Amino acid sequence: MILLGILLTLLGFVISVLSLGVTSSVGGRLAMVLVGLAVSLFGIMGVLNKAYLKNAIWKKG
Amino acid sequence: MKNSTKRLLTVLFAVSCLAPLALAQAPAAAPAAAPAATAAVPPQPTPKPILDADLAGTPVPSADARAKGDPDGSLTGNASDVTVSDPKKGLTIGDLANQVGQNKIAVNFVWTLITGYLVMFMQLGFALLETGLARAKNANHTMMMNMGVYGIGMFAYWLIGFAIQMGGVGAVANLGGTAPLSAEFTATLFGKPFGLFGQHGLFLMHKGTYDVGVMVLFLFQMVFMDTGATIPTGAAVERWKFSAFIVTSFLFAAFTYPLFANWAWGGGWLANLGTNFGLGKGYCDFAGSGVVHAVGGLSALAIAMILGPRIGKFSREGRPQVILAHDIVLVITGCLILAFGWFGFNPGSTLGASGSGNLRIGSIAVNTMLASATGMISAMLYMWFMYKKPDASMTGNGFLAGLVAITAPSGFVNPVGAVIIGFVAGVLVCLSVAFVERVLQVDDPVGAVSVHGTCGIWGVISLGLFADGKSNYGGAWNGVNGSVTGLFYGDASQLVAQLVGVATLVGFVFTLSFIFAFVVDLLVGQRTSAKSELEGLDLPEMGALAYPEFELKS
Repeated sequence: MILLGILLTLLGFVISVLSLGVTSSVGGRLAMVLVGLAVSLFGIMGVLNKAYLKNAIWKKG
Repeated sequence: MKNSTKRLLTVLFAVSCLAPLALAQAPAAAPAAAPAATAAVPPQPTPKPILDADLAGTPVPSADARAKGDPDGSLTGNASDVTVSDPKKGLTIGDLANQVGQNKIAVNFVWTLITGYLVMFMQLGFALLETGLARAKNANHTMMMNMGVYGIGMFAYWLIGFAIQMGGVGAVANLGGTAPLSAEFTATLFGKPFGLFGQHGLFLMHKGTYDVGVMVLFLFQMVFMDTGATIPTGAAVERWKFSAFIVTSFLFAAFTYPLFANWAWGGGWLANLGTNFGLGKGYCDFAGSGVVHAVGGLSALAIAMILGPRIGKFSREGRPQVILAHDIVLVITGCLILAFGWFGFNPGSTLGASGSGNLRIGSIAVNTMLASATGMISAMLYMWFMYKKPDASMTGNGFLAGLVAITAPSGFVNPVGAVIIGFVAGVLVCLSVAFVERVLQVDDPVGAVSVHGTCGIWGVISLGLFADGKSNYGGAWNGVNGSVTGLFYGDASQLVAQLVGVATLVGFVFTLSFIFAFVVDLLVGQRTSAKSELEGLDLPEMGALAYPEFELKS
C-alpha cells in the first residue's frame, strides 16, 4: 500500500508535467494539471495515509 | 457576547472588508482632456557631457575646517571621499561612475544582509511558538530541535545545498553579478531545456564562488532554507527521536529544499515555464510561499504520517483529544517575533533596495502587514463563532497563515489583493487544522501542515489570481518581458504556471520528503519509545529538564 501511494503521488506530478508537452492550450493544460493534482492528493490522503492509519498507535489499545 | 452583538460585529467587519474592494474595483475617472498646444516647444539643447576638467574645481572642505568637527553633518561625505584610481590624474568621471555603481551594490548588500538577519531572528519565533504549544515535559527537546536545525541545516546547505539551488542561477544584477554561479544541469524534454540543479558553489569555494556577491546571496538563501527546515519540527514535536531529526533535517537542507528552490529561483524548469511554454512569466514565488513554506509543510506532513500521533491524541474510536499547550505567552510571543521577521522575509526578497524597481519594497512591506492582520482577524472571528471563544493559538495560526499566504504574491499584488489573500488564509487554516486532525487523523501539534503547507499552496495559487500587472522589476520576470499578471487582471496562463508549481510540490516534493523520512525510519527509527514519550522527551532524549524546579504532570 505504501509503495502504491508513493507511485500514485508521483504519477500525479508526471501527469502535470506531461500537460506541458501534450497540449499548448491554456484550458487543456489547466485540466491536466488539475487531474494530476487530484491523483497526487488521492495518493497521499487516500492510500498512503490509510496505510499508516491501519497500524495507528491508538488502535493498539 | 450576545448574539446580536456578534451579528453587528460581523456586519461591520464584512462592510469594512468589502468597501475598499468595491472602491478599488470602481472604474477610474475619465482623464481630463489634454490642454491645447499654445506655443511651439523650443528645441531642447543637446546635453553637454561632463568632463574630467569640470571636476577639477569641485569644492571640498579644507583640512582645517574638518579638524574643527562637523556637528551638523554638512562637511562629512563629499568629493574627497570618492576613491580616486590614479592620484596623478585626480578625480575623474570614471571614478565617479565606479563610486555610483559601488554605492548601488553597497545599498543592496546592506539591505539583503539586514533583512537576512531579520529572517534568522525568525528561528527564535519558531522556537518559542513550538515550545509553547508543546507540553512542559518536552520543552528542552523542542527548543533543542529549533536550535539544532539552524546549525545542521546550515552545514548541509554549505556543503551541497546552496550549489544545487543557486549554482546555475547566473548573474544576480542587484548583487553585482554573482557571475561564478553559472552552471545549471539541464535535460531536454518536449524539445525544451529543463533546468534540474546547479553545479557551482560547493563549500562556497568551488569554481570561483569565493565572491562577495555570492556570500551575500548564500546568507540570505540559507536563512530561508532554515525557515523551511524548522517547519517539520513543529509537526513532529513530542515524539521525534533526536538522532532521526538530525539526519532528516540534513537531508532536507542538502537535497529536498534546494531542488525545488532551484526549479523556482535558481533558473530551473519551473521558472522557465514562461520562456519555454508561454505560461505567464513562469512559476512565480516572490518570497517563498511555495519554496519555503509549502516545501516545509509538505515535509512536515510526510514526517507526521510516518511518526503517527502522540499517545493520547486519539481515543480508541479515533476521536481527537485536546492536548493543552503549556505556555500561551510563549506562543503569542513567538507569533509576534515571526511577524517582525517577515519584514525581512518578503521585502528582502528583492535582493536590493536600489535599482530595478526595488523601491517597491514599501508596497511589499505593507502587503505583508495587511495580510497578517486580516489572517489574524478572520481566524479569530471564525473560532469565536464556531467554538464560542477567540482561541489564542488558532488566532496566532491565522496571523501566521496570512503571512505565509502573502509571501509568494507580496511583490506582485496591490493592498486590496493582500487583504483578501490574508483573510482567506485565516479561515483556510482553521478548516485545514480540523481536516488534518479529524479526517486524516494526522497529529500535528502546532498546525504546521495547515499554516505552512495549506496556506503556502494558497499563496502560490493566489498569486496566479491577484497579481495586478503593476510591478516592474527591471522590465521582465523570469526572462519574460512585462509584469506578472494574474487571472483576475487578464492572464489565465499565469494561474496554470502556478498550478504546475503546486502539482510539483504535492507530487514531487512530498514524495521525496516521504522517501527520505521512510528510509531514516528504517535505518534509525523516527519515533521515540512509548516510555520516553510518556515521561517527556527532556530527560530521555536531552538529559535535562527545561523546568527542573517545577513538578510536571505527565
